[in-house]
Amino acid sequence: MQEYKCKIKNITNLNSDTVYLTIECPDIANMAKPGQFVNISADKFLKRPFGIASVDKENGTFCIGVKIVGKGTKIISQFAVGKEIDVLGPLGNGFDADMYQDIILVAGGTGVFPINFAKEYYTKLGKNVKVIQGFRSKDQIIMSDDNCIVSTDDGTYGIHGNCCDALKTLDWTQFNNPVILTVGPLPMMKFTGLLAKELNVPCFVSMEQRMACGIGICLVCICKIKAEEEGKPFDHKRCCKDGPVFPYEEVIW
Amino acid sequence: MSRIGVKVGNVDLKSPIILASGTCNFGHELSEYYDLSILGGLSSKGLTCKPRVGNEGVRVAECSSGMLNSVGLQNPGVDYFIEHDLDYMRSLGCGVIVNAAGHSFEDYIEIVSKLNKHKDKIDALEINLSCPNVKAGCMSVGSDPNQVAQIVSLMRKETDLPLWIKLTPNVTDIKPIALAAQNSGADAVVLINTLLGMAIDIKTRRPVLRNNTGGYSGPAVKPVALRMVAECSKVLDIPIIGCGGISTYEDVLEFMIAGSSAVEIGTASLIHPTCPVDITKDLEDYCESNNINLKDLTGTLELW
Repeated sequence: MQEYKCKIKNITNLNSDTVYLTIECPDIANMAKPGQFVNISADKFLKRPFGIASVDKENGTFCIGVKIVGKGTKIISQFAVGKEIDVLGPLGNGFDADMYQDIILVAGGTGVFPINFAKEYYTKLGKNVKVIQGFRSKDQIIMSDDNCIVSTDDGTYGIHGNCCDALKTLDWTQFNNPVILTVGPLPMMKFTGLLAKELNVPCFVSMEQRMACGIGICLVCICKIKAEEEGKPFDHKRCCKDGPVFPYEEVIW
Repeated sequence: MSRIGVKVGNVDLKSPIILASGTCNFGHELSEYYDLSILGGLSSKGLTCKPRVGNEGVRVAECSSGMLNSVGLQNPGVDYFIEHDLDYMRSLGCGVIVNAAGHSFEDYIEIVSKLNKHKDKIDALEINLSCPNVKAGCMSVGSDPNQVAQIVSLMRKETDLPLWIKLTPNVTDIKPIALAAQNSGADAVVLINTLLGMAIDIKTRRPVLRNNTGGYSGPAVKPVALRMVAECSKVLDIPIIGCGGISTYEDVLEFMIAGSSAVEIGTASLIHPTCPVDITKDLEDYCESNNINLKDLTGTLELW
């Protein structure tokens, strides 16, 4: 593994507070698996982690989506094409769903970015891929196409409701060896997981926590995971190194 | 010995650079990035007698030129470490520094005696009398010269391994505490642990850290650390390991001139994991072009 100096090849505005960066790094484009992330310099002190949204092995690039939520993401959103940034990656475990046939992807918020990479990856593998996306309203819709099932909280587009309401509209008898992979806000992933449990479908979630190193040495980005040891209430696992992807039932919600 | 080799008491290190406890775990992760045998040493994640899950999140807050952490000594416990990680650390080819912390005098004695049974695999014990993130914890012990003297004497009876005492900067005057450690049998002091700090979320009007306060580290704390090294260097006879905000070879030189025999790099590894490789190379180049041995710089500071 190594830290790369990478050029920003392209920047697109997706909406008023979200940009999409294309970054040149053939190694990361070749190695990345869906659900993995990169940690990039933000001209601040710490790097910032972003789920990989797409890779282009031919051109040696990968993409990330950046929603402005604080000072670091604001600075990144103002980066210029051609700027060189420090990048660590690909990091984390990523999804491990190759053994399933039908891949149901559920995305909320900035989860649409890593889910997009999962869609590309599993489609290329010849899997039957279904994408469900939840947004607040029609004007927030990004990273979507006609094949995605979209829900909006205010009903301005698609299914009126959230991702779980959209999930319930699927005909679950049609699926062959399905799995649910979800990335988004905690409550959304929690209720997606609950529904998956009812349906007896395995479910993997991608956890998020404030991060520093991204490589497992500082132990700040912990999430609560059920302990293997009997009598122990829980373990603090590292989102960056042990995750970010965990089986739904291992997470303490 | 190469030009950058140093000595901390009787411990020979091939370089002055030691990875600071809590910023390198036990070496597994960083060894994916570079060959850790270039280092003078690696100081393990702080160990306690029993495993600790550490504090609740949020555990990190970015600040100006630094960060706050409130990990709270999450670690697998000393027994697990001895069984699973100690041999691995020994295999890395750099100095093996084992960092230990406790909640009571008994804890410190127990952990030192357990580690002493494996002394052939350990180059030095680094005793954390300074963690700011553990309630009823070690920082209070490390702020009181009498308690420092007692605890160091008790540990001294348990082991003849080099005892390096890591002190807190969160005190009015660090010199009497460093002297207490020295006079009770410490082989070196490590200066400094993190500075107690706070960050506030103006939207929620709550501290960013779930633990309310945390330890401040990074380049912002370097001037404080340097001042404390320089102060202690004037009064101590035992070596000092300097630590606080080091991220370039010039920083290492400053700490050595101030009186350090070796240094620790911590937070810089969280930003650029391979920065110790660059610093090592830069130190070698510096020594070569100035035709000096690095250890000769220690304590060469002349005050105005």
